[in-house]
Formats: sequence, C-alpha cells, structure tokens
Amino acid sequence: MPPLGGIYKYFMNRRFLNLTLSLLSIVLFIGIWHLCTAVLQIVPSNTLPSPERVFQSFIKKFTNPNPDGATLIQHTVASLNVALTGYAWALLIGLPLGIIMAWIPLVDRFVRPLFDLLKPIPGVAWIPLMIVIFGLGIASKAAVVFFSAVVPCVLNSYTGIKQTKDVHLWVARTFGASNIQKLFTIAIPTALPHILTGTRVALGAAWVAIVAAELLGATRGLGFMIQQSRGIFRTDIIIVGMFAIGICGGILTTILTWISNLLLKGRR
Amino acid sequence: MIEAKNISKVFSTKRGTTHVIDNVSFTVKRNEFVVLFGPGQCGKTTLINLLSGLDTPTSGTVMVNDKQVLRPGPERGVVFQAMALFPWLTVRENVAYGLKARGFAKSYWMERSSYYIDLVGLSGFEDAFINKLSGGMKQRVGIARAYCNEPEVLFMDEPFSALDAQTRYLMQEEVMRIWSKEKRTVVFVTNNIEEAVYLADRIILLTNTPAKIKQEYPITLSRPRDYTSFEFLALRDEISKNMDSTL
Amino acid sequence: MKRLPSWAYGVISIFSFLVFWAVGIYFSEIKIVMPGPWQVIIGFLRSFIRPIGRHTMTVHILYSLMRVVPAYIVGSLVGVTLGILMGWYAPVNAFFRPIYELIRPIPPIAWIPISIVWFGIGEGSKWFLIFLAAFVPVTLNSISGAKSVDPLLIKCGEMLGASKNYIFRSIVLPFSVPYIFSGLQVGLAGAWATVVAAEMIRSSEGVGWIIISSMDTNDVTQSLIGIMGIGIVGFLLAIIMRKTEDYLCAWTIREG
Repeated sequence: MPPLGGIYKYFMNRRFLNLTLSLLSIVLFIGIWHLCTAVLQIVPSNTLPSPERVFQSFIKKFTNPNPDGATLIQHTVASLNVALTGYAWALLIGLPLGIIMAWIPLVDRFVRPLFDLLKPIPGVAWIPLMIVIFGLGIASKAAVVFFSAVVPCVLNSYTGIKQTKDVHLWVARTFGASNIQKLFTIAIPTALPHILTGTRVALGAAWVAIVAAELLGATRGLGFMIQQSRGIFRTDIIIVGMFAIGICGGILTTILTWISNLLLKGRR
Repeated sequence: MIEAKNISKVFSTKRGTTHVIDNVSFTVKRNEFVVLFGPGQCGKTTLINLLSGLDTPTSGTVMVNDKQVLRPGPERGVVFQAMALFPWLTVRENVAYGLKARGFAKSYWMERSSYYIDLVGLSGFEDAFINKLSGGMKQRVGIARAYCNEPEVLFMDEPFSALDAQTRYLMQEEVMRIWSKEKRTVVFVTNNIEEAVYLADRIILLTNTPAKIKQEYPITLSRPRDYTSFEFLALRDEISKNMDSTL
Repeated sequence: MKRLPSWAYGVISIFSFLVFWAVGIYFSEIKIVMPGPWQVIIGFLRSFIRPIGRHTMTVHILYSLMRVVPAYIVGSLVGVTLGILMGWYAPVNAFFRPIYELIRPIPPIAWIPISIVWFGIGEGSKWFLIFLAAFVPVTLNSISGAKSVDPLLIKCGEMLGASKNYIFRSIVLPFSVPYIFSGLQVGLAGAWATVVAAEMIRSSEGVGWIIISSMDTNDVTQSLIGIMGIGIVGFLLAIIMRKTEDYLCAWTIREG
C-alpha cells in the first residue's frame, strides 16, 4: 500500500473507508433485493415485492384509502391516538407508584410481590380480559397499552429513587428537611435520568403493544393495516406498514431523547 | 538506559492547544530508582506515559536501551494508580497475564507467578478474585503483574495515591524491599514529598504546566531511610521550598 | 410494629389481593362474566390433567417453549457474535450498522404478517420471529459492551505484550459479559412476549392459543388460566437467566 502523506490524510482515509463500507452495504442490500425481485424474479411478487413497488405503494398510501379503508396518515394517527392515551395513563400511575414504592419501605414490602407476579405477563395476554371489561373499542386497547407501558415506568423510577445517595440525604437532614422535601429536592432529581430512561422504554413498549392489539382486532391503525394487507396478498403494503411502524417508533423515541437531554442539561 | 531527548507534548482540543510538557531532557541509569516529583496536575502522568510508550511525544524522542519508544510493550512495565487489574481473572491469572499472552509454557508462568506473588506478600491468595482484595493488596497484584512480565524498566504512576495513609507507608517499605531483591530500573511518579525522598536515588523536580525540569536532586542517604532523620527532613524542606505551588 | 420476615409481606399482600378480588366479584355485577380467584386457581391446577382444547397445560407450555428456546439460543448467539465484532472492529460496524438500524425499530410483532407470508403458519414463522426478538436487543447490548471496555485495560494488555487478537479474546470478551447478559434478559422477555403474541394470532396450541381460544367461547376463566401460565413460565425463565448471570458474573464489582 502506498505511503499516505501525513497523519491527516491517513485519518481521513480510515473514516472514508468506513463510510464507503456503510454505503456499500446499503447499495448491496437494495441491489440484491432489486435483483431477486424485479430482475431475476426468483420470488413471486406476492412474497416479496421489488423495492420500487414498495416505494410506490408507500407514496400512494399517503393519500389512497384503498384497499383497507384509510390512508397511511389516518392509520398512523389512529394508532398514535390509542398508544399515547394508554401511555399517558402509564406515566401518570406508573411513575408515582415506582417512586412511592422506593421511598416508603412499607409500601415496597406489600406492593413488590404483587408487582413481581404481574411483571412477566406480556401486555398482549391481557387482551381478552380487557375486551370483557371494556368492550371491543378503544378502551380495551388503551388498557393493553397501559399494562405494557406501566411496568418499565415503575421499574425505572423505582431503581432511580433507590440510587439516592445516603450522604445527600444526611446533608438534607442537617438542614432540617422534612421527608417530603427530601423526596422532592434530592431523591427525585437523582432519579431523573433513570425515570427518563423508563419513559423511553415505556414508549417503546406502548408502541409495540398497540401494534399487537391492532393485529388481533381493530378497524384502524398500522397494525390493522398490515394484518389486512396479508389477507388480500398486498405484501407491498405490509412492508410499507412495517417501515411506517419503525419510523414512527423511531421518531417518538427521538422526541423523548431530545426532551430527556433538555431536562438533564449540564449533568455528566 | 532511558534517554529522554527534548520531548514535548502538546494537546489540541476544540478549546485550543495546551502545552503540557516543554522540552524535557534527562537520562536514567540502569537499576536507578528515579522519582518524578512536582506540584499537582503539572504533567507528571503525561511525562511517564511518554516514557513508557502509552503516549507519544509531539516532538523529541524517548529511547530505552537505545531503541526508540513508540508504543507500550512488555519491556516497559507499568503500575497504574487506578490499578487496572482484570476483575474476571484470579490473582495468579492477573500476575501471569503477560507471560501467558506472550506464549510462554504453563509450567513457566505458573512458577514465575508463584514467585512474584510470594515476593509481594500475597501467598495464599493465588486463586482469589480481585474484588475480594483490599486496596493495598490490589496494588501488590499490580506490582507483581508488572514484575512478572520481566520488563527491563518499571514505571509506577502514583501507585499509592489511592491508598489510605497507613497502607501507603507500608507499601513504600514493600516497594523498597521488592526492589532491593529484584533490582530494576524504576521511574516513579508521586506528589508526596516524603514518599519521594524515601524511595529515590534521584528526584527530578518538575515545574508547573508546561512542565520543565526545575532541578535534579541526587539522594545519597543509605537505605532503609528514616523519615524523621535530620538529613531526611532537610532534603524534604529544601525540595518543598523549591517546588512551584500548585495551580 | 415488629418486622415480619420478608416473605410474609408477600403472602399477606397476595392473599389480600385475592380476597379483594373475590369480594369485589361477589358484590358487583362483574360476577356474571368474571370468575373469582378460587375458580381460576382450581382451573389452572386442573388444566394440568384436563386438557384445554386438545392438550393439557403441560403440553401447551412445552409447545410454547419449543418455539422459544431454540430460536432464542440461535438469535442470541448470532447477536452476541455480531454485536461484539461490531463493537470492536470499526469496519464490521460500518458494514452491518445500516441494515441493523433498519431492522431495529421494527418490533418483532410487526413482522408477524410478513413472516406468515414467507414461512407459512407453521413453526418456521414463529422461529423467525423469536430469532428477531432475541437478536435485536442482544446485538445492541453486545455492541455496547464491546465499546465500553475501559481503554486503560486495553492499554494494560498492550503494555503486557498481548497481541490485538489476544486482547480481544482475553479482555474485550470477558468485559462485555455483564452487558451481554443485560441483552439476554431483555431478549428473553421480548421472546416470551413475542411467542405469546404469535400464538394468539396464528396457532393451534401453546399458552398464547389458550388465551385467544378463550375469546371464541367467551371463557374468561380460561383466559385468566392462560395468563397465569404465561406469567409463571415467564417468571421461571427470568429466574433461570438471573441465576446463570449471577454464576458467570460473580467477579463483577456490583455497585452498592
């Protein structure tokens, strides 16, 4: 290999190499996909449509309510609606619950065993029960989202409060702080990074839960969209839906990360 | 044995450039115990990293045994302040790591590691994990590990700063005992003047950042040294007075 | 108030919960559709002898485990290998990152329809889903582990004379083990949830099937029995994982 002139050039070359590798893998991926579908046609287009087809459908679905009754935007909004409702309840109940459990030992000793029992149950398993209680509408789905999202909220806020340093609490005591003051001025700020991580995990869980609930029975929403599309052999819309689910989830996470960074400004 | 020729180190960050080491030159003779001493944060760690190869100078050269130092290596053993032991290995596996990594036979490194574990006073702890050891014991493992790898030179970067005062005195005596049994060339960094006078054949006093050599002090007191003797205290005062105050 | 042993609180609270449940059922209108705790527990125990559908609870659980365990192991192995390599070797990371970041945000559940298109309604589609459910978090945590290795330890390895490959084997890998286990736990929880969801959507046996079939007959007791089964097995799996981690990571210095 010819000697590279200077340290600067070499560094640029390393980064350049990695960048090319990334671009290469993207090109290869789309290329092989295209090759297998549009050119060689080794898989039927019902099983795997070509990338162009998927892209076309993606654009079209923004405005075309066919064939499942709503546009991509409408589906996304429907999913978001229910997901964020359940999520909001999970934050409202889960975060304070975790904080109280971690702060008051008596509550901890009683509630922990119950929580540990309910923890391993995936949100989707609650669907039939929720339908019995809330009927077939949005409420039952929101309840499923709630159950999925509340667990990370409780866990993370619990862990966060438990990390409060004894030293800090002792300092507060020397200043004459009451229990409530200690909770709000020391414990909760210490726990804030964990709490925010919990909200992020919970949002991911909520988003997964709504997709799952819609796969099982709905009339709108992205989960419904991809389930329907399978029935009518529109695999291209399935893929569009999957991307939409992924992109939406990613955007939600990014927003939350941005809020987290804002709230945690200045911390290590 | 060790030759530092006009070495300088400049760090460039987004906020600008910092000159840490400025045109330092000195030599270390074979089996000499040299202490680098200076005010806090003056660049002692940077300097010893340049000598051991953990870092490279911006200009100037470091020669050990007439070979230029460009990277870390087994000829230049290092004992770190942060100990840097491998927590998933036992004491013996830590001590023997270098020999194992370099491909020596099991019988060889078993025997060598036993010798050095015994030398540092940790016989009986060969199969313990290091999270069970105290600070002083951990640092002994660090010293054994560096020695066991059969280096030509030993660099010790404030190895006792993280220990409590009593253990620190103990370790200073231990280092002297080990070094008198297994003579090596040692370059030792400290910010504690008594530690420096107790251990050194020669103290190199550094200025504040950017570090230059302020003065060199050969110490000719016989060992083991007495912290309270007249000569000891006189040296301590002289060097302390000459030292720049910490920024 | 004198302190009771810690398990006593658990017993009291679970017992009170069950009593509250039973009383609530008795005094409200829900008792028309919702069973009391006693019915559910008896039903659960009975399900080990009397089949639900065509199989007893044991067989259902085994079906679900048969779907989860092999695919989880394969997914985790691939995830650990790829993740560690990606975390340590920048070119590997550069090559695989785009595809990984494409797959990552799509939850395994969203793959269900296309997985059925590709693999049919048999076991293959479920294995594919479980593989994804394990692979994604395990890879992520493995990358994190390999990247988080203390640079001082690497320098130490170099100083002691180890080659780059030896450093990788003897320092990077062991250091990453706790991170890998984090990923394995998340992956296990995700895999279990995914198999339940997959069974609810398309299967004829398994713990997920128990729940979905209860909807056909409006048998709430059965759905609760299913929930119990899912919860208990999930709980046991998590404990097995935790014990394994404790054993293999005995050397980690746990933060107080």
